[in-house]
Amino acid sequence: MAERIKILSKDWDKPNSWSLETYLASGGYQSLPKALKMQPQAIVDEVVKSNLRGRGGAGFPTGMKWNFVRKETMTPKYLVINADEGEPATFKDRAILEWSPHMFIEGLIIGCFALDCHLTYVYCRGEFRDGPIARCQQAIDEARAKGYIGKNILGSGFDLDIHVVSGAGAYICGEETALLESLEGRKGYPRLKPPFPANAGGGLWKSPTAVNNVETLANMPAIIEKGGEWFSSVGCAKNGGTRLFAVSGHVKKPGVYEAPMGITFLDLLNDYCGGMREGSTLKAIIPGGSSAAVMTAEEAVWASDFDTLKAKKTMAGSGGVVYLDQNTNMAHALANVMRFYAHESCGQCTPCREGTGWLSKLLDKIVSGKGEKQDIDNVHQISRQMEQKTICALADGAAMPAKSFIEKFRADFDALVKG
Amino acid sequence: MIPLNTKPKGPVPSPFSAAQQATFDAGFTKAVAKYPPERSRAALLPALHLAQDLLGWLPEAAMAYVGSRLDIPPARVREVATFYTMYKLKPQGRHHIEVCNSVSCWAMGSEDLIKHCESKLGIHKGEITADGHFSLGEAACLAGCGYAPAVLINNYRYAEHMTAEKMDKLIEELKSAPGNKMADFPENKDTGRAH
Repeated sequence: MAERIKILSKDWDKPNSWSLETYLASGGYQSLPKALKMQPQAIVDEVVKSNLRGRGGAGFPTGMKWNFVRKETMTPKYLVINADEGEPATFKDRAILEWSPHMFIEGLIIGCFALDCHLTYVYCRGEFRDGPIARCQQAIDEARAKGYIGKNILGSGFDLDIHVVSGAGAYICGEETALLESLEGRKGYPRLKPPFPANAGGGLWKSPTAVNNVETLANMPAIIEKGGEWFSSVGCAKNGGTRLFAVSGHVKKPGVYEAPMGITFLDLLNDYCGGMREGSTLKAIIPGGSSAAVMTAEEAVWASDFDTLKAKKTMAGSGGVVYLDQNTNMAHALANVMRFYAHESCGQCTPCREGTGWLSKLLDKIVSGKGEKQDIDNVHQISRQMEQKTICALADGAAMPAKSFIEKFRADFDALVKG
Repeated sequence: MIPLNTKPKGPVPSPFSAAQQATFDAGFTKAVAKYPPERSRAALLPALHLAQDLLGWLPEAAMAYVGSRLDIPPARVREVATFYTMYKLKPQGRHHIEVCNSVSCWAMGSEDLIKHCESKLGIHKGEITADGHFSLGEAACLAGCGYAPAVLINNYRYAEHMTAEKMDKLIEELKSAPGNKMADFPENKDTGRAH
């Protein structure tokens, strides 16, 4: 096996990996002075070259998003960090905030400088208060004391304030416009687009705003240090860098693993997670959070990059990978997944509010043994009618597992129903 | 009854004791300072968190008061308070235990863990023990999937890699801890309002 390249997790084995001392000793905060001497547009150009794709779920090219914001003439401009990490099976931003908060903070300062943003918010899920938020706040305080945050950073003339704010328990606030609504002090109803957040009228307090994931920004120090071309060469075509895979389910060693973009699910399982646990054989894979279409064991040879999985009609999503074993009944698993979406639908759009509720009720009926064959077909039919009809992608995220679980594991459903 | 749809005319009475008031005011000042002066209403979520941390839950008196401090009508405050699951609209047990039941925790046995909690505490999900010491619920994904099953205590404390034995130990530990005192307000007796 080739030597593993570690960008994001390189300090995780060190004692007090989260401290400023550890980060400085491993070369931290050396990209910041370099970046502050660059033209902001040159930083964005480097990010474009890096082929960095957003790590929150959609995989949008980060450099392109930043260019949208830079093109706007309206000020102020904002960079807002999505640290709401709520997609079932996803727990990798938490790892960065707890174990390498300074790498993320350095990346965030560089990002703000590139976008001419002087006030930034890190929106974290509320449950993180005593763990990841506390670590992140400590890192901010340490960085401020060192002069990396505040007025005239390192004599560059650039001013920046960073604030951590917390949500209060709502999956929908991981959707970027719902997050902005919540950050402005309202319930998290996604906004109709356009205007997109990057454009005037669509972002935080209507200002042009880049909403980026924690992991996305944590890559900036490496991109500035080693260059966009180097970063791009680490991953696969149009998918630069490594990715943090948050692995859960019936594997020997669940956890957060850094692997090159495009690693196959089989290699991730065997080379990083020690394979399936004793007595388990692989039956199914959820490849990128519960909103992604499920994969069969045979499909584990697929590459994990954004484009491959899109072509295979699923998605790389948030990097939350669940390996499920032969004892998992997929109808029961889908019923569980759908209870989540029915609970978390914000209720703004009818196809989602009603659709997720219907699907959940039908699936509960099926797994209770009272279902009929027609119920399975109805689940499939309803989920097709929910797609692309709503303001945000929550309904699509509920429809994708519903359709794929039935298409790929129909026998598990049939065995539970009459007729 | 506090009218919900209009801004109150006179000053809104504080739901806090003098000591609580000082804590709230200090936290409120800090929260508002994070936003540009003309955007102070953005501090509604943190202000509600502060109020709940002091009172144990969010009675309507607290919502009305927080709204008055930020110039937000009570109906708007209620809209936010009812939207987010961390805000508790009725008193909970002094220790509120939520077991994550999203897909990764489910695959690792969270439903058995919930059943175990129900029989150990003698209550169902959504109920409070007769002595008011414990309440039990289900959580949506806590981002503890690799350390499943995950449990959340009192909104902020994580307990992971849980088993029946570890749950028993945790419950024993919490039995001798005071937990959150639930402030007494008229709605305490009003069981008609669900969350």
